Amino acid sequence: MPTTLSYTLVITGAPWASQAPQTALNVAQELINANHRIDRVFLYGEGIHLASALSTPPSDEKHWPRAWSEFLTEHSIPAVACVASALRRGLVDEAEQARYELPASNLRAPFEIAGLGEWVEGSIQSDRVLYFHGSA
Amino acid sequence: MNEQEQHTPTLHILNKAPEHPRFAACLGTLATDDVLVLSENAVLGLANRQANLPDGCLALEADLAARGLNDSFRNQAISYADLVKLTEQHPRIISW
Amino acid sequence: MSTLIVVDQAPYGSWTGREALDMTLSLAAFDQPAALLFTGAGVNWLRTGQAPEHVGQKSAEKNLSAAPIFGVEELLACSESCQRYGLDDANTIGGITGVASTAETINRYRHVVFAG
Repeated sequence: MPTTLSYTLVITGAPWASQAPQTALNVAQELINANHRIDRVFLYGEGIHLASALSTPPSDEKHWPRAWSEFLTEHSIPAVACVASALRRGLVDEAEQARYELPASNLRAPFEIAGLGEWVEGSIQSDRVLYFHGSA
Repeated sequence: MNEQEQHTPTLHILNKAPEHPRFAACLGTLATDDVLVLSENAVLGLANRQANLPDGCLALEADLAARGLNDSFRNQAISYADLVKLTEQHPRIISW
Repeated sequence: MSTLIVVDQAPYGSWTGREALDMTLSLAAFDQPAALLFTGAGVNWLRTGQAPEHVGQKSAEKNLSAAPIFGVEELLACSESCQRYGLDDANTIGGITGVASTAETINRYRHVVFAG
């Protein structure tokens, strides 16, 4: 009987700037197919753009933020955008919008904004941690 | 600092094109019982005569196909499901 | 089990080094053993006298010098890269251990991480 392993996936490459979100999604899908558990998806650095609610690619191109949010929702996988990476790049949730008196918020559900502690926790608890970087 | 006497067989996942400094850096760390999987731009290393890849290195077939290399390197091509299997088998994984 | 964070990108032109440093300090803050390895263009993080305010950025020099106090176990630098960039004891921040082989150093750590 094959073992179920737990994984943390870290994405540091942005959609439409790298293949990171695409490779990661394909791997994530196969992890689920193989009956593994994805503890958490953690967006860091440029990867936070994957959590934008405002991305609007042409209709004949893959919508990476939507594809990811559908996958995460379907499988109830916790997903976090790192607060330090997100705020400076203009990805904010309602709480941060209020705190900084910004004109809008744009975090796509089910992503949440949290700190690097979530990554540290994943590193400690998950059997495997995979990183999906840009390739520049 | 770890006091490992023996090398733990490692899965290396490399996505950088051959000219990127991290490509050579990755190759420099490979031990004989390690597995190298080329993904994304790194699959071009197979087409690059000077790339100096180890025998038996693998490449994601989706990335080979995207770049028109699927026919040439079919026996080194693996699926995402195969990659997942490799991650099961290797507790030590370096994503370059 | 110790984590080695590798910085191979130069300071100020991109944010990956800053992000690597944040990861390292986070590990230390959670009492996880962590070490930093600077290699390639990344060794330029270690030069003294940096004044990044000229380009609107914050200096990492203080954070790096204080890294051991925060609990970072080792600051390592590829000796060959340092030589290539003219870095020696006179112009490098203190507390750095030179390593002859990046590959050997990487293989001494169970967990090896790049920030980007």
